[in-house]
Amino acid sequence: MPHIENRIRRLRFDAGEITQKDLADRVGVTRQTILAIENGKYAPTLDLAFRIARTFGVPLDEVFTFHDD
Amino acid sequence: MSCGERDALTSLITTLIVIVLFVLLLLGQHAAGDFAGSDGLQVWAQSVLLLVCASIGIAIVVAIVFHIAYSTLTGDKPDDRRDERDRDIDRRALTFAWYLLSFGILGVVIDLALGASAFRALNLMLALCAVSELFKDAVRLALYRRGA
Repeated sequence: MPHIENRIRRLRFDAGEITQKDLADRVGVTRQTILAIENGKYAPTLDLAFRIARTFGVPLDEVFTFHDD
Repeated sequence: MSCGERDALTSLITTLIVIVLFVLLLLGQHAAGDFAGSDGLQVWAQSVLLLVCASIGIAIVVAIVFHIAYSTLTGDKPDDRRDERDRDIDRRALTFAWYLLSFGILGVVIDLALGASAFRALNLMLALCAVSELFKDAVRLALYRRGA
């Protein structure tokens, strides 16, 4: 079953341990949505995925990776 | 708790209160024979319209009380932002409720075709609307709780 993994937790840590709330405010969503994405419970839209990547200043595929198991 | 999750919970509470009121009022009127006359359906429709108006007021009161209780108990300032995940959950819950309503209406039409009265059919439709609303809110809550 295909699934999308993400490195948001790691990127938050590398960016100075910014909180889920800070990241949520920066990309314009709720903290619960960031939590759901980090836990792999929710797959964000392309728009939000790009906004998250841009916030960390990295390409999209450094945040999200697709696995077709 | 996100704004969408609070909405789902308050909507569930409101729907439960309205259903109890509907059942009490309509059963009371039925027992009193208000629907027995030739204008029975008209009386029924007036009662339903009255309760629909009342339900808007109930929804507002429940939302305010819940908002105050939530702020008091948690000490948090509620975040009223809704985002793409809320819309996704709404859409999924609405789809489930729509299927329930569609098949339910089909069942009512079959019931009518088998000889049920219009009065019974209207009450079943009303019950279906209430159940599908409850179902929608329950699915929304379940999706929020699951972290979807």
